[in-house]
Amino acid sequence: METDAVETLIEDGIPDADATVTTPRDPDDDDHYAAEVISPAFEDESLVDRHQRVHDALDEHMHDEIHAIEIRAYTPEEYDDA
Amino acid sequence: MTFEQEADYTQEELNEEVDQLIEDNEVVLFMKGTELMPQCGYSRKAIALIQRHREDVETVDVLEALDQYRAALERHSNRETIPQTFVDGEFVGGSDILEQLQERGELGEKLNA
Repeated sequence: METDAVETLIEDGIPDADATVTTPRDPDDDDHYAAEVISPAFEDESLVDRHQRVHDALDEHMHDEIHAIEIRAYTPEEYDDA
Repeated sequence: MTFEQEADYTQEELNEEVDQLIEDNEVVLFMKGTELMPQCGYSRKAIALIQRHREDVETVDVLEALDQYRAALERHSNRETIPQTFVDGEFVGGSDILEQLQERGELGEKLNA
């Protein structure tokens, strides 16, 4: 699955989200992705809840095309001071 | 979803086993491979992060019946990705969440809750 397709799915699934998806090199892993997602919707949400939003946005794709996705989810404010 | 019969478990038996493992252990990690021989980068990262704070982590090699373990775990965590960590019966996350908790200095507290 192309990274921009994954970005679109995430951005469609989370309000006002800006997603950047890459495929980091890890020799002993097949198709896995890294996603950095910024959205005000994450305000006051735990890490697990933020990650759940991304998994829900990708939902059925998570069964076959996406075996693993490493997620970093920030609010716009957190991203500015990170 | 149909499962080929990789192992001799039925889905119900595996669901019960997974439920039991999550209930009986303070910290349980469902991973690809074993503690000594992780078979995937994320599983290796997860076990290493946990062991910085606890030695008594129960590990389960999901490669024995991958599809069935994924289905059993999804009932607890809403996701099928591996690895998955549970502390006191509660889903904590995959290796990325463990890493981010570690970066924030919150992992030790989470694992010893």
